[in-house]
Amino acid sequence: MAIDLTLKESATREQRLGSITGYDGKLSDLTKQGCAGCLLNKGRRFQTVSSCSHTHTINQLSGLTGALVVDHGPIGCSGGQIFFTLNRNRLNPPPGVPPLEHSKIISTNLDESDTIFGAVEKLRQTVLAAYERHHPKEIFIVSSCVSAIIGDDIFSVAQELNEELDIPVIAAAGEGLRSKIWATGFDSYSHAVSKARFSPPTGERNPIINYSGFGPVGRQYVEPFFTRLGLQLNLLVGGSTQEDFHRATTAIASWGQCSSQSNYILSVLEQEYGVRYLQSHLPYGGIGFERFMRDLGKLIGKEDIVEEIIAEEKEKYKDQIDAIKARLKGKRAFIALGSGFAYEYSRLLWELGVEVQHAIGYHFDPVLDQNNLESEIAAATDVKELKLDFDTSINDGQEMETYLLVKEYNPDFLVSRGHEASAWSMLQGIPSLDTEIGFVIMGYRGLVEFGTTIVEVLDSKNFVEKLGARYVSPFTEAYEGLSPFSFYDEEAAI
Amino acid sequence: MSVKAEITSCVEQPRIACAIGGIYTALAIDRVLPILHAGPGCQGQAGATLAGANGGQNADTYLESVIPSTNFSESDVVFGAAERLSHVVEESLKYYDADMFIVSDGCVSQIVGDDIEEVVRTFEGREKPVLHASLPGFKGNNLFGHSEILKAIVEQYLTKSDHVNEKQVNVWGIVPFYDTFWVATLEKLEALLTELGFEPNIIYGHGKGLKAVDKIPSAGFNLLISPWVDLDIVKLLEEKFDTPYFHYPNIPIGPTQTADFVRKLVKYANLDEVGAERIIKREEDRYYYYLNHSIKFIFTCRVTPREFYINSSASQALALTKYLINDLGMTPRKIFISEGVPEELQEEVRSYFNDVQHERPEDLEVIFTNDGGLCDTYVKSEDTTFRKTAVFGTTWDELTAKNLKLPFVPVSAPAGDLMVGVKTYFAWEGAINLAADLYNDAANKGLGTVS
Repeated sequence: MAIDLTLKESATREQRLGSITGYDGKLSDLTKQGCAGCLLNKGRRFQTVSSCSHTHTINQLSGLTGALVVDHGPIGCSGGQIFFTLNRNRLNPPPGVPPLEHSKIISTNLDESDTIFGAVEKLRQTVLAAYERHHPKEIFIVSSCVSAIIGDDIFSVAQELNEELDIPVIAAAGEGLRSKIWATGFDSYSHAVSKARFSPPTGERNPIINYSGFGPVGRQYVEPFFTRLGLQLNLLVGGSTQEDFHRATTAIASWGQCSSQSNYILSVLEQEYGVRYLQSHLPYGGIGFERFMRDLGKLIGKEDIVEEIIAEEKEKYKDQIDAIKARLKGKRAFIALGSGFAYEYSRLLWELGVEVQHAIGYHFDPVLDQNNLESEIAAATDVKELKLDFDTSINDGQEMETYLLVKEYNPDFLVSRGHEASAWSMLQGIPSLDTEIGFVIMGYRGLVEFGTTIVEVLDSKNFVEKLGARYVSPFTEAYEGLSPFSFYDEEAAI
Repeated sequence: MSVKAEITSCVEQPRIACAIGGIYTALAIDRVLPILHAGPGCQGQAGATLAGANGGQNADTYLESVIPSTNFSESDVVFGAAERLSHVVEESLKYYDADMFIVSDGCVSQIVGDDIEEVVRTFEGREKPVLHASLPGFKGNNLFGHSEILKAIVEQYLTKSDHVNEKQVNVWGIVPFYDTFWVATLEKLEALLTELGFEPNIIYGHGKGLKAVDKIPSAGFNLLISPWVDLDIVKLLEEKFDTPYFHYPNIPIGPTQTADFVRKLVKYANLDEVGAERIIKREEDRYYYYLNHSIKFIFTCRVTPREFYINSSASQALALTKYLINDLGMTPRKIFISEGVPEELQEEVRSYFNDVQHERPEDLEVIFTNDGGLCDTYVKSEDTTFRKTAVFGTTWDELTAKNLKLPFVPVSAPAGDLMVGVKTYFAWEGAINLAADLYNDAANKGLGTVS
């Protein structure tokens, strides 16, 4: 389904892509059903807290240099952003770059009377006050559950203020209850930022490759590859400027950190500006790197340089990878990650000779937005090309379900990131690691980085074993005795 | 300067969570489980400000990710989800080894009219108590939520005791999680109260739980140790159980306040004043021993911070203002209280700031706001070239302080995603920690060195 930027808001992942948050079975079956368009979701009659798309809409927009976000909601809806802005500001700015600043997010602070009388005027005043205080280069207005339910039309307010102020004022649909999939927030961001920052390129296409992701961490490890191929690396990440986005439309190709974060915006670039979106093979680990680089080499007609780079990288890290493989022989791992990385890390572990017992993805997109139908999602290419297969399930951070699964499989270690799967696993005495994403795990270097972390984690289990020995379950015996998918309910809507 | 925030109610850089943050008060009581009738992301928003980015905290008995929630969705807006909530409560009773369940709703379920009280009524008479507390974010902040949770416990669970233990004192006013240092502060306060001859009863933290909650009605008195938070609770307890309360307006930091606190408290309770003086003398000697021990580090070849901004909770702002003026000899610039103190209480809270050893206490500029970004805007616009100014605030303020090379100490939520450990600024020992944090940051910023 083509993306339509003339619409006010992006349709949800459920609507556009048939994405799901409930499944258990084999990866081969999941991708086969997904490709065939017959994948059905499973609801749950019992759930625990998760995350929402609002969080990610605001996080992504407010990370952009020059942007200010007005959150049209009660005071709490943007409170969690402190985490993201803190993380971004841990990175030291390169020399000559102005000092770091916190994300600029201003809440309209909706109160009880606003829920009765509406708060369109309050929104207007907040945007004006925000403009006065910070003089941003653009303002994004984001809706919340409350402003959406009371019917405040943020799109009209944005349009009016867009004309009044001398900067773009763009609205983004951010109400968390629109979608069960928090990655829908990345789409809302992409939709709004595409409207605000993309414009048709003038002149010729430039030798640029775009990368979309959370941040620039690890850029220095990968940039030299692209320089050798005569390409400039252009980042669409936290900290990127309006100019970075303008430049992106003139690029040759793009790839993204993961389909969850990057799919929509890079599909826009492909659809509207002809910038090829490389997504079937993500460049993580050695195998991913080789396939990705060959795709790129073919696209720009530089297969020979690509083969040189691959041979060099392979040779450079061969001994270290062999040593890691020897240390990890016979180990079994459990994965709980966002949908993109769950099936990237399963391949990385396979490449290191580790058995993947089970991988949980926090949601699953059977297809992506791009119109190129020959281009399959990365998980499907692994099943086809590498015959990768293992048990997998989909849950939106439902740690109660993950907890029972981890107990059932009793892995040697768990690979996760955020959402507490690793904390629960550690508490129970199972070593676990929260992983890196993006540039850091790209290529053979990335494989060594990841493998070294696992070896270190498994080197001494003193802490985790002593912690695990003291574990007292906060659940009843009735719960501990349940099978992991007991909460599935065909009747449940979500 | 052009700060328009005064004429609007908008909020930047929030130092508070919304009402749903009240669940952290429930989570601070061992084996009490909140059940949410709210959106899937609501807890996470509150959790960042109150826990994760506030000293690297998380809930103990029930790590947040397993808090049951209906995860309100679009179809629930149309059809309501009271029935789903009822099911989630039922399953929670079956699967969680908890002593108490508190059902709380958020904005959306409240707007569409789901009645959690009615749902909870159907669970009356179960083996474990099931309470309800409404926490929609549009009704107030996490301090409102905190109050709603405590009121639910007092009104729906506690009953009058047939005996009173004159020595037992319940402790109120320290908001768990929100007060970054609550765990260690309560531990130290408990030890001090015990040494003074009390039997302190604290409901939050390790090993307390419902057995502490159950004892609330039998206390000799309630100790309220904050400018305004929990004033409603001690009044409610007085009304319900005839328990009187003693109000000290802040957590004491440093020798001057702590001695004052101890003397007033012991006098109120008719306890051993001579013994108390012995403790004060012993601890003051120890405090000054430690400061003497680093007097060269603090003053030799250094210029120490002399003025301060505060941007924090009322409780920390008051305690710090007193300590920094009375014991460290510093001068206040502006004091921002960014926790939405109710208007009717602001004058009283303001008056507590007069109790300082300062020539013109009425000149102290105390600014009540919800807008955490207001202080940031002021600090950035101030010329600090010839002034040795320090900032006490949250991690929101940290970056500005870093960019301006101003000494900074995180004292209030969100204090940052660093592990708080056993740190507290409470009393004599805590003040040594605070002085060290202040002078260390001044040294690290390269400020202090006289070239």
